[in-house]
Amino acid sequence: MSSISDEVAADFKDALQDLKVNSRPEISNLTLIAKENTEHAQAISTVLENHIRTARPEWRLPSLYVLDSIVKNIGTPYTVYLGRGLYKTFMEAYSKVDQPTRKAMEGLLRTWKQPVPESMDSRPVFPLEMTSDIENALNKMRSVQAQMQSQRQVHALPARPVIAAAWRNTPTPPQNGAQFGVPVDPRARQVPGQQFEQYPQPTPTPDQFGQLMGSVDLNELKEEVGKLIATTQQAFALNYSDPSLQQKLNALLQLKRMLDTQTLPPQQLEAVRNQIRALAPPPAPTPVQMPAFVAPPIVQTPQQPPTLTFQPPAAAAPMNLAQMLANFQSPPAVTNPSPAPAPAAPNLADLIARMTTPQSSAPNPAPFYPPSFPGPSASTPVPAPAPAATPVVAPPNNLAQLLSSFNKPSAAPPAAPTPPPFNPALPPHIPNLSQLLAHAQPMGPAPPPPNNASWLLNALSGLPNAGTPSIATPIGSESMTRQSSAPVNVQNDVELTTASMKQPRLHLISRLYDAKPNICTTCGRRFDATPQGREKKARHMDWHFKMKDPDAAKRGVHRSWYFTEKEWIEYREVDETAPDDTANGPSGAAGRVKKQAKDRYVLVPQDVTLAHAPCPICQEKFEPQWSKDANDFVWMDAIKVGGKIYHATCWEEYSKGAGIATPSTPDSVLGKRTAETSTPASGKKLRAY
Amino acid sequence: MIALPGLNLGAQAPEPLNAPTTSATRTQELSANTEYRFEVSFARSLTIKLVTGTAEYFGTELAPATTYTFSGAKGAVFTWHGCRLEIGGEAESEYVAEETQMMSAANAHFALEALRERAHQMRDAGPRVLVVGPENAGKTSLVKTLAAYAVKSGQQPTVVNLDPRQGMLSVPGSFTAAAFSSILDIEEGWGSSPISGPSPTPVKMPLVYHYGLRDAEEGTVFRPLVTRMALAVTSRLEDDPASKSAGFVIDTPGAVAQGRAGVYENIEHIISEFSVTTILVLGSERLYSDLSRKYSNSADAIAVIRLDKSGGCVDRSDTYMKALRHAQIRAYFFGNSEAGLAPHSQSAGFEELSIFRVKEECAGSDMQFNDGGDAYGGAAEDTIYERVTPSSEIVNKLLAITTAAPTEGHAAIRDASVRGYLYVAEVDEGKKRVKLLAPQPGRVPSTAVVCGRWPEDVASLVG
Repeated sequence: MSSISDEVAADFKDALQDLKVNSRPEISNLTLIAKENTEHAQAISTVLENHIRTARPEWRLPSLYVLDSIVKNIGTPYTVYLGRGLYKTFMEAYSKVDQPTRKAMEGLLRTWKQPVPESMDSRPVFPLEMTSDIENALNKMRSVQAQMQSQRQVHALPARPVIAAAWRNTPTPPQNGAQFGVPVDPRARQVPGQQFEQYPQPTPTPDQFGQLMGSVDLNELKEEVGKLIATTQQAFALNYSDPSLQQKLNALLQLKRMLDTQTLPPQQLEAVRNQIRALAPPPAPTPVQMPAFVAPPIVQTPQQPPTLTFQPPAAAAPMNLAQMLANFQSPPAVTNPSPAPAPAAPNLADLIARMTTPQSSAPNPAPFYPPSFPGPSASTPVPAPAPAATPVVAPPNNLAQLLSSFNKPSAAPPAAPTPPPFNPALPPHIPNLSQLLAHAQPMGPAPPPPNNASWLLNALSGLPNAGTPSIATPIGSESMTRQSSAPVNVQNDVELTTASMKQPRLHLISRLYDAKPNICTTCGRRFDATPQGREKKARHMDWHFKMKDPDAAKRGVHRSWYFTEKEWIEYREVDETAPDDTANGPSGAAGRVKKQAKDRYVLVPQDVTLAHAPCPICQEKFEPQWSKDANDFVWMDAIKVGGKIYHATCWEEYSKGAGIATPSTPDSVLGKRTAETSTPASGKKLRAY
Repeated sequence: MIALPGLNLGAQAPEPLNAPTTSATRTQELSANTEYRFEVSFARSLTIKLVTGTAEYFGTELAPATTYTFSGAKGAVFTWHGCRLEIGGEAESEYVAEETQMMSAANAHFALEALRERAHQMRDAGPRVLVVGPENAGKTSLVKTLAAYAVKSGQQPTVVNLDPRQGMLSVPGSFTAAAFSSILDIEEGWGSSPISGPSPTPVKMPLVYHYGLRDAEEGTVFRPLVTRMALAVTSRLEDDPASKSAGFVIDTPGAVAQGRAGVYENIEHIISEFSVTTILVLGSERLYSDLSRKYSNSADAIAVIRLDKSGGCVDRSDTYMKALRHAQIRAYFFGNSEAGLAPHSQSAGFEELSIFRVKEECAGSDMQFNDGGDAYGGAAEDTIYERVTPSSEIVNKLLAITTAAPTEGHAAIRDASVRGYLYVAEVDEGKKRVKLLAPQPGRVPSTAVVCGRWPEDVASLVG
């Protein structure tokens, strides 16, 4: 870099440092300097980026506006230089600033995805891949936040008060957020950390929860599992026909075995314990369901919605999960935190229905406040976003966001709730609930297959298995980092390992069933619900029709010779649903001749001797049959050769042996139904299966 | 089996007999993820009709409101979503099982499916799966389920059967390979090889080799045939994109899983010949551990996976297996009850037939394998078979019609694929004539025919 560059950069830096408020003249001025010194664009860009990164949070927004102004008014080469570090610059700033600033930043980001206003250039300010990277990261932060909140609810679940007390009574730990304020590029499989400088009152962060949770007592955990098994067994004894209970029991027993035999890393243990908590039939009313229906998180207060009372204990566990899930999408009640409890849905189906109901309300950019973990004040309904109200302000559309952040990263809702604090260093690759939900997503708008209870159970009981670090639910702080490493291909993640084979994955079964809803009632073959699928089915049904040949038995059907090696190697399978003109290898003709042979026919001869003559080969008589196509009585599977009428199949068999070519019979091509002979397009028109 | 117009007695006769049993049906409700297991003897039949819900029989979905008739079967109707079945007839035993291994099978399928998708995108070879395990561990059921799921997912998997104790699309004692592009036949197990008339389920095209011995450990024929089969299957897959990406699944006899002191020569041979990528071990812990020790860490990283044996696996008695084999042989000539076939009875002079039989010493020991590749080499070439003149010894036996000329070397005869089978109904040593049952009319083939020592004699197939 030349000295002039350095000089210009230094000037620019000085000017930047004076920029402390959003002042239009100053920004214009800076833009002008940048414009006049495009030859030093690289230096200026570096200075600007550094400034945005290092300035005090409240001064960052103006500098970002400078960046914005430069890229929009000048464009290249600044877009190139600034674009390189855009992700880092943006995300670092984003992680430091307060909520209104974040909103402003998101606004900026939006404009970067569009062309410069009034510009001739239709390209966006920054290439879409740059902005979408940021977008993805923001989405992940949002979904993590959503998860945080649901976790918090799980955490708050006082399944085993004895243990729960260990951390519930812990006074709010001292703030040490600054320790992990190191921003990290999420593409490096981690998430930016964050400081909550704007909050005067230090609050615990998940990291601390993580530490607290990390000290999971294995014995206690085993005991919990044991108790849960006992309760489940009781429930199962009462209701032994319930497969979900049985499945749950199996899962628990499996878990117990694993706990007994293996040493699991603390994170997994922790996850398991939370899992167990979530499953445990609550001794006290479940607070988990509260946030979904009632405004504030009334942890363990007697003023529960009446719903719990009519929950049979046996069904309690799956219910809870369902409620958790319901929380994910936060029914509208949440956006309007009123203490009036919406009646909790009494059954799963309702909950699922809620979950899948599209949310029309705009995302509510509710600020996220880490909860002061459940103090008695938490029971007071506070509509304002006070710290105590945390779980309530779960942003609506959480589920949708979660899902969308996985499926279509760039199309996520723009308004973002404040991301939660992050814990930067935790093991990745542990699937979590949101991932599971995302797995379910490709099936269509209603993720759970018919069997809701077991699907849910499945979602929660992707039990940690030996060998594979997989825990199914979002638990503890580690789930957040998993977000960033969530596989993009959420469709089918079954690994080829012994442990993986045992995990229930009922959500995949729909690929065998619901994915192809159009079933042939004759043989059970399934077809897509697409026009092509219907077309295929039409041909398939035609095939069935042709195969229902009542005369087949009379003709003396026999087993054909097998293919020779060479024929077999060259043979290509013929799908009966494929259009008829499917070309096949040389030997493929053998398979098709069969089909054609029995489609051959001759009109019943008028000549009396001929009409009574049997087939000279098999000595069997011909059966007259009405042919719709010929509009006359015909002999099917017949061929006229040299004044004699043979069965076409007999003749074929004979002529093949004798090396005589089968004469082509011009009048013999029929007996085929419409879809068979017509082009695919016309077939579709004629039949709609 | 003479087919006279209007005299369709053959088809009608069984129905009145079945009528009393089928008229009294009962309803069986199955909740999700359970299966209805049944055993039905060869003498009786059991009908199952799906009334509501979904159900599958070893991976193949039952069509709604279609009555399936089972006879001589030990099977299970599984449901993912719950269903109601209408059951008629008598079962030897029947119960509803709530603990099944279907999830494992489905997981295995989805894992393979992921590999197939990848293979399809890369235009690469799909997963090549070997299923091993002891007798009656559910190997064939698993293979069937995997094949059925793959077909259902729009794939065209190839299935290779190396188990001589039960045939696939052919008679027992044969090794077959077939690409499955259409649904498996629920009643017949796999489906039917081509017949000259229409078939209710699309026919499957098998490639058949004759093995003719009972166990893989028995003789010098097994490994060369495996090699041959692997060659054919690999060639087919190489040229057939649909088959290539779908890969294949190999079913093996339980005997190969026994091994000797932790060494499984036959399994190793299959793995190397077929370039197996995935081994599914059913049931046997020991086999799993031995194989995973050998293959999991090897350079070419073969995935060795253990699956639990299903609780529905029942030990099939020798009597049952024998009856099953007879049924398969009968079905080859006569078809199943639904689609009756008309085999052709004919007689041939001794001189018209060139019958070969695996030599006793070859069948009895595998000495030759112990000293390297001799069996493949020239020295052993013409010592595999002995020429036999028809005698009462070959009565009630199956003769495999090969594609090899009688003058060719023994190795060529061994490696030749099979066109079909003949059944020796009678040998008249005085008149020097043999009465044969052939699947279809025509002259007795002049190619080499191989008389197997396996399967056991099937008496009274004719008459």
